[in-house]
Amino acid sequence: MAEDLLQQLISRLQRVLDKQYILTMKEQLTPFECDGLSVYRELPLVAVLPGKASEVQAIIKICHELSIPLVTRGAGTGLSAGALPHPEGVLLVLSRLSKIHDINNTTLTAKVEPGVRNLAISEAAFEHGLFYAPDPSSQIACSIGGNVAENAGGVHCLKYGLTVHNVLQLKGFTMSGEAITVGATGLDTTGFNFLSLIIGSEGMLMVVTEITVKLLPLPQHVEVLLASFTALDAAGQAVSNIIAAGVIPAGLEMMDNNAICAAEDFAHAGYPRDAAAILLIEIDGSAINVEEQLAIIQKVLNESGVDSLKIARDKQEQALFWKGRKSAFPAVGRLSPDYYCMDGTIPRKSLSEVLTYISALSVDYGFPVANVFHAGDGNLHPLILFDANIAGQLEQVEAMGARILEKCIAVGGTITGEHGVGLEKIRQMPLQFTDTEIIQFHAVKEALDPDNLLNPGKNIPLLKRCQEYRALSQNLQPNKLLSHDGLAHQTPGNQA
Amino acid sequence: MSNSAQDLQEQIAEAFSEKQPVSIQGGGSKHFYGCPVAAPLLDTTSHTGIIAHEPTELTITVRCGTTLAELDQHLEKHGQVLACEPPDYSGKATVGGMIAAGLAGPARPYLASVQDTVLGCTLLNGKGERLGFGGKVMKNVAGYDISRLIVGSLGCLGLILDVTLKVIPRTLAESSFAFSVAKEQSAAFVNELRKNGLPVTASCFLDEQLVIRFAAGNKEIENLTIELEKHYSFIQHSLFVDDGFWLKLRNHQLPFFSPDDQRSLWRLSVSADTDIKPLLDTQAQVLTEWGGVLHWMKTDKSPEEIFNTMSSVAGQASLFRTSNAQDGNTTPRFQPLPSALKLWHKQLKAAFDPAGILNPGKMYPGL
Repeated sequence: MAEDLLQQLISRLQRVLDKQYILTMKEQLTPFECDGLSVYRELPLVAVLPGKASEVQAIIKICHELSIPLVTRGAGTGLSAGALPHPEGVLLVLSRLSKIHDINNTTLTAKVEPGVRNLAISEAAFEHGLFYAPDPSSQIACSIGGNVAENAGGVHCLKYGLTVHNVLQLKGFTMSGEAITVGATGLDTTGFNFLSLIIGSEGMLMVVTEITVKLLPLPQHVEVLLASFTALDAAGQAVSNIIAAGVIPAGLEMMDNNAICAAEDFAHAGYPRDAAAILLIEIDGSAINVEEQLAIIQKVLNESGVDSLKIARDKQEQALFWKGRKSAFPAVGRLSPDYYCMDGTIPRKSLSEVLTYISALSVDYGFPVANVFHAGDGNLHPLILFDANIAGQLEQVEAMGARILEKCIAVGGTITGEHGVGLEKIRQMPLQFTDTEIIQFHAVKEALDPDNLLNPGKNIPLLKRCQEYRALSQNLQPNKLLSHDGLAHQTPGNQA
Repeated sequence: MSNSAQDLQEQIAEAFSEKQPVSIQGGGSKHFYGCPVAAPLLDTTSHTGIIAHEPTELTITVRCGTTLAELDQHLEKHGQVLACEPPDYSGKATVGGMIAAGLAGPARPYLASVQDTVLGCTLLNGKGERLGFGGKVMKNVAGYDISRLIVGSLGCLGLILDVTLKVIPRTLAESSFAFSVAKEQSAAFVNELRKNGLPVTASCFLDEQLVIRFAAGNKEIENLTIELEKHYSFIQHSLFVDDGFWLKLRNHQLPFFSPDDQRSLWRLSVSADTDIKPLLDTQAQVLTEWGGVLHWMKTDKSPEEIFNTMSSVAGQASLFRTSNAQDGNTTPRFQPLPSALKLWHKQLKAAFDPAGILNPGKMYPGL
């Protein structure tokens, strides 16, 4: 960027924001160089930390007038490099917009600023007997603004839905700095359903400064079950059998042996270290309802060949069972200097096929994999263990990850269930979408951000790169790899 | 691609090349909804059938022309339902129409909206290009969420060829009760029931009574009367239970909705804590659903007055059925849009339908 434009930017920012909230020095900017996916790093030109919506609007207008890219960042816990700064742009950090404006006991909603932590909403709602349902594993740290940008999920999605099912209204600004409201607290919205379009748009269509979320009454009664299996298949089948029996558990999670052992060493949750797989099942509702569900689930699990079944004795043990699962990522992280977390989602019936494929890849590439799985909704989180300090390992892991995602598409799934495309999965987008579909995505982007200033270069690949990405994938992957009858034996060194 | 899909695609491609608008219609059951479109009919009813149903995945993929009646019947065999309870208007409404209108039924605040039910779709845009978005799995955040964006777009962004929907298990039992509660208290009352763990799935305030539907497992419903008697005074109104009250409400077939009424029927939606009383015409008749959020009103008031009133409370009004069909083309049906949002509508429309041929004017003039 030309020096005079940078000076102009900074002096205009200084007119709308206190100097201490405008960061330009390398040492100030370094903490913002990446999100939760630290393999991608970039310094922005400037980072700004506004404290109120009017300051956000003023910053957007300045960037718009000077045609400077703007990347919005929440707590920085994202896992797809969606908040990776633009080297020629402004990083808009919304963590200071952290007020809970209102918990409304009549409308059962919370009106909050984007920097509010996910868990803080449920904590504030607790005294009213309410909670906010979507609960990503990072909920202690992640912000609701980031949840909206990524359409974050969590362990309770099957019953309670994703962010898109639990947000009623967004207020904020278009890239030209105009105030805009999408959605409505009155549920009906006339006009196009922009609310759903904005949620999960990875900060590419507007900047959100106020979010109204739906709150739910806290369940009267909760039971958490820990079921272990001697075979992964049986555990997968048990999940389908539970759903076939007409029960939708509040949470239904699966972990494989590697993940079980890592989590057990870390959290001492009482997981059986010799199990091939465990299921964590949470059911909630009224006491009678839970009793009915529990009876059905116990029967189904027994018929599905469960090896052992524990029902948490009290709230402490319930929390302990969950602690193992919720700390699975850091626990696996202890096993190896780095891990790479995938986020493909598949029809549950393909679970065994996909896991077999992943273990074959693991052997082939020489990287261990621990599998954590939102089993109820088919969202897989294979964690590939590696060491980024060893030259070439990151590239090999990315190639292996790409093949897992391609497999997810091949069985009718998607490359990302809840983490977003960001920069990380942009090369797999052309495998899931045709050129015509990609062009339509770009047309949507252009309709709402004609100058392509909001988080440019993420989420949707440039059309001219799509053929290249598809060709690359073809080269990497002979057709027979898509079948589940085994892998071609290529050494990692052969991978591009 | 099926013949019917190809046929629809060719029709739109031709309309695009000739810049000839089309009026997309499924079963025609909601023909009164939105402004009439003066253009040749593009009939989707031949594009029918269930493409895939995976009961244990809780998903079903179905073509647009399939009737909701057929879909419900199919799901019932597997003990499943659509959570959003869309009106099926005596079996005429189609799946495509449900998505295009985005109208959910009594369960909306407690279970799901139409967009909550959608997982993926195949569309024909205004150039006749066939596009797939979303997917057939519960979670999918790849690309923009076009499949939910399309819900309620009244065919102005594309023709919905097929959709993948999330289904839920049918509850084993349900029971309804009528309570003597003041209208102003009804939202708080419903909330209290829910906080007490009672499985509320619908509420309706009509004729000075608050009628509430509960649905859950057999034991829970059997026990419901005992639970309710512990805390509340209520009247059990067998009429509501036996006479298909909720189905009639869902299909707008209660006497309140009678098309013989000469007044216009409005659909007003506000935040549940909005005191709606001062906003209403004293002569107006009102039926309230969704725990005080959705108010159906019959009135002769002018659209302008109603829109202004709703705008003052950040609410939304739509003229669901106009008393004067002659008004058709000129009476605005939907809450006017603020300027920034209006611009987004215009630009988004152009992104999907550059020639402006899909249901032009159905939602707003010029759109």
